[in-house]
Amino acid sequence: MNRKEYRIKLISKEFLNSDTCYLGFECPEIASNAFPGQFVNISAGTVFLKRPFGIASVDKENGIFYIGVKVVGKGTSEISSFEPGLMVDCLGPLGKGFDFDGYDTIILTGGGTGVFPINFAYETLTSQGKNVIVCEGFRNANQVILNKPSYILTTDCGDCGIKGTVIAGLDTIDISEPSKTLICCVGPIPMMKAVASWAAEKNMNCLVSMEQRMACGAGICLCCTVKVKDDGPDGFKNVRCCKEGPVFDSREVVW
Amino acid sequence: MSTSLNVKVGNVSLKSPLILASGTCNFGRELSEYYDLSILGGISSKGLTIKPRNGNPGVRVAECASGMLNSVGLQNPGVHYFIENDLDFMKESGAGVIVNVAGHSYEDYIDMVTTLDPHKDKIDALEINLSCPNVKEGCMTIGSDPAAIKLITSKLRALTDLPLWIKLTPNVTDIKATALAAQEGGADAVVLINTLMGMRIDIRTRRPVLTNNTGGYSGPAVKPVAIRMVAECSQVLNIPIVGCGGIADYKDVLEFMIAGASAVEIGTACLVHPSLPVDITEDLEKYCKDNNVELKDLTGTLQRW
Repeated sequence: MNRKEYRIKLISKEFLNSDTCYLGFECPEIASNAFPGQFVNISAGTVFLKRPFGIASVDKENGIFYIGVKVVGKGTSEISSFEPGLMVDCLGPLGKGFDFDGYDTIILTGGGTGVFPINFAYETLTSQGKNVIVCEGFRNANQVILNKPSYILTTDCGDCGIKGTVIAGLDTIDISEPSKTLICCVGPIPMMKAVASWAAEKNMNCLVSMEQRMACGAGICLCCTVKVKDDGPDGFKNVRCCKEGPVFDSREVVW
Repeated sequence: MSTSLNVKVGNVSLKSPLILASGTCNFGRELSEYYDLSILGGISSKGLTIKPRNGNPGVRVAECASGMLNSVGLQNPGVHYFIENDLDFMKESGAGVIVNVAGHSYEDYIDMVTTLDPHKDKIDALEINLSCPNVKEGCMTIGSDPAAIKLITSKLRALTDLPLWIKLTPNVTDIKATALAAQEGGADAVVLINTLMGMRIDIRTRRPVLTNNTGGYSGPAVKPVAIRMVAECSQVLNIPIVGCGGIADYKDVLEFMIAGASAVEIGTACLVHPSLPVDITEDLEKYCKDNNVELKDLTGTLQRW
């Protein structure tokens, strides 16, 4: 059997800004099976545990998938120093992705490394001819990556795009049919919380992609749990970000 | 699969010495997406309690040198849910079924064993967890005190014919004393070792990385500690030992068996490589063939200086 565990080759690397790079790996199985919102777990040099990364794009024809890596610690630092040709261990595709079915319009929003899964969702949806609106927020112009002219862009300091958070950008969107519109958010927790509230006020369904420190990515260690609402005595239950998530209905999450 | 890997832990026959360690495989279902579980000697279930537990809040894992700290805190669906939903899956997997039993008091452990005993036809052994470092009461508190270990083991012994494997903590001064207490209480085997208590600190915030402050250290880093404890206990025990701690390849399995283990549990390494048991099984078969040995004959063959 041996499904979902691969030894794969890094075939391309480019830096998108000073601390973020974009890596392409050859793995036809992941490239053809991955769905937006899913992630891979990749071995990171000398550190013990693999590190999870949202899939940023796939090239099914050439069997390549892409991830974005922002250097935040030792693992991401080692991965960003990998050079093409290196073989790495990888699990994937992992987790439950976005379910876009039943909507006429999809709004994709987020920031930080969330722009990578958003990119994959955008490519997938546009290839299906869906109506997609993207709104991304960054701290400043230097942080802006993977941006397209059609995107609504916001920056905290206002040095490019709309000044403010993604909420300022979302407010510019004319939502004619909330029940037929889905908003998907991938970003820092405060951003996802704010977007979830914004969507709730407009009676729109909202999916968020949660992040938690992860060990296995395979659903076996229960380290990466997310608190969700539950009818039981505690009023919540802990579910696995890597297995039941990372994508959750924003109304289920205990923020 | 070659019979050269067959081992026995007391009266429990296993087709291989490899058992998935409790807390690193849930109930096996997720790993069945990676490989055929029937190659395994056994699966030790996630630590179970009478009532469901949500486990600890916040950050539960911290990377360490050659391993990790965890503070999951025995999150589990409760033994009744397990019996309804997971026990049959484990039985049908073809691996030996080891049910890990946790609790907060003597009464909890007694309730657990009484609840599981009627399902003995589906269970190969009960692994009594007297060693979880991540809950405030029970487990390691009982497991640090030889008199308490002997008492709880003898109470459980009276309740069931199922093999009782007592999983012990390394966080004690004398592991021989706690292992002997389990033997005197009527244990069929001891499992050595659970995780070592540890802490990591975020120097920026000066807070522990784990929201529980402390956690259990596991992974290849702890293997020498576990091997030493297995070797020490092997000299004084009459009951078999299941070795556990830092196994990452077939040579580690052999080390544990030479030190005195009849079987072994593998855990943290599978969090990094879920299908690692497939590789280890193939390597063990090759080792047996190349060296014309049966694995069971290696147990306790340590030649001390």
